[in-house]
Amino acid sequence: MSWWSRLTNVLRSERLDQDLDDEQRFHIESRAEDLEREGLSRQDALEQASRRFGRPLNLREDSHDVKVMTRIESLVRDLRFGFRTLLKDPVVSLAAVISLGLAIGACTGAFSLIDALILRQLPLREPERLVYLNRATAKDPTSSTIFSYPFFDRVRQTVSSHMETFSMSEQSLRQAVLYDAGGVEEKLVAQFVSGNAFDVLGVGPSVGRVLAPSDDVTASENPVAVISHAFWKRRLGADPGVLGRSIQLEQKSYQIVGVAEAGFTGAQPGVLTDIWIPNLTSRFAESIRNPHMGWLQVWGRLLPGATRQALQPIVRTTLANLDEEDGGKARGELAAASALDVVDASTGLSRVRQDFGRPLLALAAIAGLVLLIACSNVANLLLARGAARRREMALRASIGAGRGRLLQQALVESSVLTLAGTGLGVLGAFSAVPLIIAMLSTNEHPVYLDARLDWRVLLFAVALGSVTTMLFGLVPALRASAATPGETIAHGDQRHTASPGMARSLVVVQIGFSLMILFVAGLLLRSFDRLLSVDLGFTPERVSLLSVEVRDRLEAAQASEVARQMLSRVESMPGVESASMSGWALFRGWSWGNTVDIPGRGSVQSRRLAVSSGFFRTMNIRILDGREFVPKDAAALSPIPVIVNETFARKYLSGERAVGSRLTTTNRGQLISYEIVGMTADARDGSVRGEADPYLFSLIGDANGAVEIRSSLDPRTLADYLRKELPLVHPSLRLVDVTRQTSLVDNTLLRERLLAVLSGFFAALGLVLAAVGLYGVLSYAVVRRTREIGIRLALGAPATAVMRSIGGRVALAIAAGVVSGLAGGLYFARFVETFLYETEPVSLSSMGLPVVCLLIVAFVAIWSPMRRATCVDPVEALRTD
Amino acid sequence: MHGYAITTHIETSSSDILRVEEGSLYPALHRLEEARLVKARWMVTPKNRRARVYEITPAGRHRLETDEQRWRAVTVAVGQVLERI
Repeated sequence: MSWWSRLTNVLRSERLDQDLDDEQRFHIESRAEDLEREGLSRQDALEQASRRFGRPLNLREDSHDVKVMTRIESLVRDLRFGFRTLLKDPVVSLAAVISLGLAIGACTGAFSLIDALILRQLPLREPERLVYLNRATAKDPTSSTIFSYPFFDRVRQTVSSHMETFSMSEQSLRQAVLYDAGGVEEKLVAQFVSGNAFDVLGVGPSVGRVLAPSDDVTASENPVAVISHAFWKRRLGADPGVLGRSIQLEQKSYQIVGVAEAGFTGAQPGVLTDIWIPNLTSRFAESIRNPHMGWLQVWGRLLPGATRQALQPIVRTTLANLDEEDGGKARGELAAASALDVVDASTGLSRVRQDFGRPLLALAAIAGLVLLIACSNVANLLLARGAARRREMALRASIGAGRGRLLQQALVESSVLTLAGTGLGVLGAFSAVPLIIAMLSTNEHPVYLDARLDWRVLLFAVALGSVTTMLFGLVPALRASAATPGETIAHGDQRHTASPGMARSLVVVQIGFSLMILFVAGLLLRSFDRLLSVDLGFTPERVSLLSVEVRDRLEAAQASEVARQMLSRVESMPGVESASMSGWALFRGWSWGNTVDIPGRGSVQSRRLAVSSGFFRTMNIRILDGREFVPKDAAALSPIPVIVNETFARKYLSGERAVGSRLTTTNRGQLISYEIVGMTADARDGSVRGEADPYLFSLIGDANGAVEIRSSLDPRTLADYLRKELPLVHPSLRLVDVTRQTSLVDNTLLRERLLAVLSGFFAALGLVLAAVGLYGVLSYAVVRRTREIGIRLALGAPATAVMRSIGGRVALAIAAGVVSGLAGGLYFARFVETFLYETEPVSLSSMGLPVVCLLIVAFVAIWSPMRRATCVDPVEALRTD
Repeated sequence: MHGYAITTHIETSSSDILRVEEGSLYPALHRLEEARLVKARWMVTPKNRRARVYEITPAGRHRLETDEQRWRAVTVAVGQVLERI
């Protein structure tokens, strides 16, 4: 393999030359010996032998080129030289590598996140054949993939010739006790699936078996479950004896019959399922005939030849039929059969993607802009350097280097910078990406993304690096290689002849992009700040939330007595200011909708929440009229006292006083009448944005729900206290969960927080890069024109005139950058408009603040070079030649 | 044979009419080596010196034949042209 030896010889170049030398020497000495034998002296013999041999160095070079891959060799040589050149100016090189590294790292990190969350197909058999059903309602995108069991059952039958249908519930954290936990509860991510789900998805077992249709029956005496491989390894330590052991999931016992194959964690990227349970053995099984209870996603695998478009009318008809059979009384959302779609599921159905997909893309775009700023920085640097090395290039050209060779050398230097930057960036991305994923996670909804640095991401990084090198390296390389020996050497020591025009246009680019990023980041930060200061209608600070539940079924009277005793015990604890209870905490993400009939005004829709007396006091919600609940309200059976909020009164009872009005609801045919005894100010629930919903509060009747405690004490202290006290009130009363009210509110703002934090980071980065770039350009201008400045100063020019001549054009460039940056920023702002809250892109403060900020930074950046310009000693300046 | 031996062989065989600029033999040998027409190895002479010896390969022999034939054909042709003048 001669090409192999020619390749390896590149690396053993010295050894090769030594061998060639040896061969030559042997020849010459042999000839010398022969000549000696003919009578010549040793001295003369050697002389003549050498003469006859020819020019040893040239010949050795010829042989060397034969035995080596010259192309590769020149590359290696350029690489080594490039390293040495960069090391000669370590500060500047380091700055370039770091700015490239940060920018490339940001882009690579963004790509790996986007790949994991949005682009990657599910690691299943033929993922492009997977579909799910989606009902596109304008109001609530997430719940529109949830359907009832009767619908799933009907669809299963009607489309059987087009696709194999299966269903999956959403993933949720549930209380469970494992067989090795000694009775201690922990949280598992559980998912209910139909019996054929594993089969249709094409997932097999790694231990035992997977779920089968025979497991999916209501009357199962021995309910079974399958756990995920990751869970098996992580929590059970890959226990080989796991089969047959049981798990208690919310008071029901399931036997583990298998571990799913490694790598399968469900079809919902972003969340890892720990355990799968057949639908009909879950506690939702009671609702299998209820067409109003939605709890399943309907999925399928298209059979060969079937298309999504062909399926669509079939499923729509199915839904419409079901609705008719129900008496046409389906609630507004269910009845929108015409908006039912069959959606491609090759990348899975991901709540995380719905929440964070678009923000990630916006951030990726910003990262791209940062990269462009970094590139123009490095380009300026290389231009300056290239100009300084014009003589060196000219010298090379004069001894025979072609233009291509010079170009190669310049490009290789750029590549070295990029290589170092890419390496740094990949490392940075590797450490930053888990942190960003952690930002997206909450206790209630942990996020897991497999954003690993696989070949796709690395390939992206390499491609990005190459594009980057071309971007900042090509023009300087072309310029440097254009050096013609004659004129360059003749021009004497005009060592600095970089075209200022090019540098200035790069300044425009940098300032422009930096301002764009600042502008958008400013919008996002301000929007986030506005969201944080929205009046929620209640005070979440210092409120701890403790979820409690009563395991035994209690009589109504006993249940409310238990609740009352529990609350009074809590309130009597030192340090507790106030305590109350509700069906669930505000901002928990749950809701209960009710149809309420108002005599004389018809039926209206309202949200409803069961609360204890003292709820409004604890949560600090103002009572505008009437009163709070009192304990004796529990005994009032007709009419039942209720409290409404301001929005309810305004929307449905306008014109009359809310307190005193009567309402009714119908529950399973029975009429229940209510009387409003109080009206409160609006308290936000579920979302900080938008308008408040109309709310109806009724008195809570049992001890299952969230206990709100207003206190300065740490939630954990409260939890410990309750854990001891609760069983004393009733043996089956238990603490289930602890969190803060502020956490629940903050969790709804994760997206905005992510956008604000990261865009702010990028804005700061972009500013620093632009400032460094400005500093560099001006410094260089001063150095380049030292002689001219010296002359001017010597002739008596005032300092301001010198500054104006140096900085005048640059100032114009900055101004041009600001204008184009604003224009670009306004354009870009359209894409983030959906994330904004009460923030107008086109406003004085939105546009003005970033500009002012940038100008201040620019001023600081150019201050030092400008001062240096005015301090030039004319005598020194004229001497520097 | 090592390079020097080849040089002297050419000189003696051609009765000193053909003289090579001795050094330029080596790039030529190396080109032949890369083209696999000869193969080479190091050896130590009786005088304890390192020398690189070359040996023709089958492919080289084949190429030699072809080149030799061509050379003879050219020589004959030139001779014929000269005769006719």
